[in-house]
Amino acid sequence: MARTKRERAVIVSGVRTPFVKAFSEFTTLDTIALAKAAVEGLLRKTGVSKSLIESVVWGGVILPSASPNVGREVALDVGLPAAVEAMTVTRACASGLQAITTAAAMIERGDCAVAIAGGSDSTSNAEVKLPQKVVHAMAPLALGRPSPGDYVSAIAKLAPFTDVLPTRPKIAERTTGEVMGEAAERMAERNGITREAQDAFALRSHTRAAAAIASGRFDEELTSVSLPNGNSVTSDGLVRADTTLERLAKLRPAFKKGGTITAGNASPLTDGAAAVLLMSESRAKELGLAPLAAITEWAYVGVDPRDQLLLGPALAIPKVLDRAGVSLDECDLVDLHEAFAAQVLSVTKMLASDAFARERLGRDRAVGEIDDARLNVHGGSLSLGHPFGATGARMVSTMAHELAKSDKRRAVLGICAAGGLGAAAILERA
Amino acid sequence: MTDLLLSLGSNAQARSLFRTLGLPIPLPATLRRARGPVSDRELADKKILFAAHADAPLASMCASALARAGADCYLDDFEPLRERFRGPCEAFGRGPHALALLNESTKLDGVVVDLSSASAVGDLRVLYSSLRGTVTRLRPSGRVVVLAASAAEGDAEKRATQQAIDGFVRSLAKELGRNGSTANLLRVKDDSESRAGAALTWLLSARSAFVTGQCLEVTSSARTVNANTGTHNRALEGKTALVTGAARGIGAATARALARDGAHVVCVDRQDDGALSALARELSGRAVALDIAAEDAGESLRALFAERPLDVVVHNAGITRDKTLARMTDAHWDDVLAVNLRSIVETTRALEPALREGARIITLSSVAGIAGNTGQCAYAASKAGVIGWTRAESARLASRGITVNAVAPGFIETKMTEAMPVAIREAARRLSALAQGGRPEDVAEAIAFFASPAAQGLTGHVLRVCGGALIGA
Repeated sequence: MARTKRERAVIVSGVRTPFVKAFSEFTTLDTIALAKAAVEGLLRKTGVSKSLIESVVWGGVILPSASPNVGREVALDVGLPAAVEAMTVTRACASGLQAITTAAAMIERGDCAVAIAGGSDSTSNAEVKLPQKVVHAMAPLALGRPSPGDYVSAIAKLAPFTDVLPTRPKIAERTTGEVMGEAAERMAERNGITREAQDAFALRSHTRAAAAIASGRFDEELTSVSLPNGNSVTSDGLVRADTTLERLAKLRPAFKKGGTITAGNASPLTDGAAAVLLMSESRAKELGLAPLAAITEWAYVGVDPRDQLLLGPALAIPKVLDRAGVSLDECDLVDLHEAFAAQVLSVTKMLASDAFARERLGRDRAVGEIDDARLNVHGGSLSLGHPFGATGARMVSTMAHELAKSDKRRAVLGICAAGGLGAAAILERA
Repeated sequence: MTDLLLSLGSNAQARSLFRTLGLPIPLPATLRRARGPVSDRELADKKILFAAHADAPLASMCASALARAGADCYLDDFEPLRERFRGPCEAFGRGPHALALLNESTKLDGVVVDLSSASAVGDLRVLYSSLRGTVTRLRPSGRVVVLAASAAEGDAEKRATQQAIDGFVRSLAKELGRNGSTANLLRVKDDSESRAGAALTWLLSARSAFVTGQCLEVTSSARTVNANTGTHNRALEGKTALVTGAARGIGAATARALARDGAHVVCVDRQDDGALSALARELSGRAVALDIAAEDAGESLRALFAERPLDVVVHNAGITRDKTLARMTDAHWDDVLAVNLRSIVETTRALEPALREGARIITLSSVAGIAGNTGQCAYAASKAGVIGWTRAESARLASRGITVNAVAPGFIETKMTEAMPVAIREAARRLSALAQGGRPEDVAEAIAFFASPAAQGLTGHVLRVCGGALIGA
């Protein structure tokens, strides 16, 4: 597929808020407030003048219904010039990456030269929804001047009085009604991923994230967040440095009797935001900035959500590697979004399978075995947490920093998302 | 058109009442049918058991076809077959699982038995031993597919053995019918394994609901035209199909099925009383009012497709003028033969230059054409003629990759059968393994299957869609 680029898009910097458990410190901050904190932190860290920003692209999953264009609200709240245009994209858990690749595409096309992209979600502020039945029955009361008779008929329409209570949103597939944990449970079973392997992977995630935190590795990527009560949050809240296999093994299956998915090997509900500053390579040069990495290729795929909901990365990664003309071995870093340990292990198993390559990719040899030293070097969503819209931007930021710090050449990212979507992207040392 | 017994059969209380009273009337089972367009995962989450004689030559083909279609593969004789299933099953996360580990009360959706290497009479025992215990575990509308080799090759004992399977499958089909389940035979020629997956999947799927006791043979006679795209989703995308007699019944159902799978459908019928153009509008196709038995029908069709190559032709138009030979008039005889047979010969001749390489021709025969029927001397002659024509043309057009197949409906619930006298209609419905009439959609599914690119291995067939009709089997 030949595509022409006018410009190469580079990642100049990335910053995120601490990630904390839903309904804890950030409960009073909605997704816009979290996004604002991340973008302000980014501007502070880079020292880039607000007047240089041309576009904001923001990713989110649980969008506030009164102001769904979070990107624009953030631009206004942060005080970017009114002329800065802004949009919001949504692609389930790949929303943050979608925001970045959309911004990168704009830069490659020459639509703009400097953009802020990222994502945020506040699971704590998910809106509680009135059932449509109630909304429809009450419509005559909301419009015009209702008579007492209208009230009576509205109530009559609600009978029998079932499904009238407000419902909390849950992470269920619209087409299948299946909760994501159940889908992961089926994947574990179908791909033969044991509870032990899942717990071991979860432990590894926590150990690595804890080591990164202890070494100060995340410090320059983090910005502290001030709370309305005057306190501020300065560090990640979900990583457990002290967890052990024994403790993980004690947790009860959360989605199925006799199942293998527990709270310990699934990513937790999280609040947080992450932002990335993108520029065209030439503008970065003009401004005398040293980019961390270039985002060179990306690919999105879909699989049947009734089949293996979260297998997308196993197909998106070979696709993006093909586009870049490189092999998995030529990627020094591999960063996979950890929705569930079972899902990561299913994806890595398929990438390493000759049979999968033969049957599903039409090639003779497996995409590749991922060397443990290269995979999720500083942990992932299992330990750090997973604010849906922010995760993609968190991964891009961490990998871009890692390439720059370790002077590695190339990183490949893989993200699974609701609806059977898969995403992958390649970052290269600028 | 309501079938009282069928509605009673779907009522649990009525079923148990019939059983308690010991009424000698078999209550037909409600057949599971497919909805929506053909997809890559026609067997999603179905539990399919595979058993085999000796080295199971077709195991790898089956593993790939089943896993790809979304089925969970179970093996009776686990260890020897495991390696053959491992790759494809791993790629799709579909096992293989040992049958022994499946809960006794869990039902199976289908059983596949590979007998293609059976060459001695003793080898047949596998049929008995592998199916005896498992057919009782079949879910309603379950499937049995026996895989076999060509019955026309090898020494006398091998041919006897392979032919014996035929009798077994036909009998089993009759036994399974009351449950809505089917049994069919799929013969695979030595060099044609790579073409067999699509037929296996179709026979196991809900799209073959009214096909039972039948035998299909996969061959490499029709030349490969273009590599299969590997997907069954909208397999007819970009293709043009012609359906005659499209205004109603089987023709309309066929036009819908072909359009559903992506084809641009040219709907032809003798006159447009509104139904034809309504159908064409619904399908974003084209309506053409044309009497295909007319002198100039060939010319008109040739002109119609001068600029637009044809990929699928369905010769569905047909009439009945039922009269015993003694009461038949010249007009009866001439009309039936002209519409049902001569028009096929002549329009195909005219359309041949427009047929693309790898095109599909599907004719409509009838169970009456195979078995004969009182009052249908002319009709049965025309429908038997269709079979002869289909076989001859399939051989002649094979080098261009064109396949020619006939579909022979049994009792189908249409306007035509609705007009039958009650007693005859009741008898016709019940005299089949499934003890009910089929629907136009059942025939349409068979036609759509023959029309698909994946059916390259099937040509010269007469496939009965008859629910295992007891006559002429």
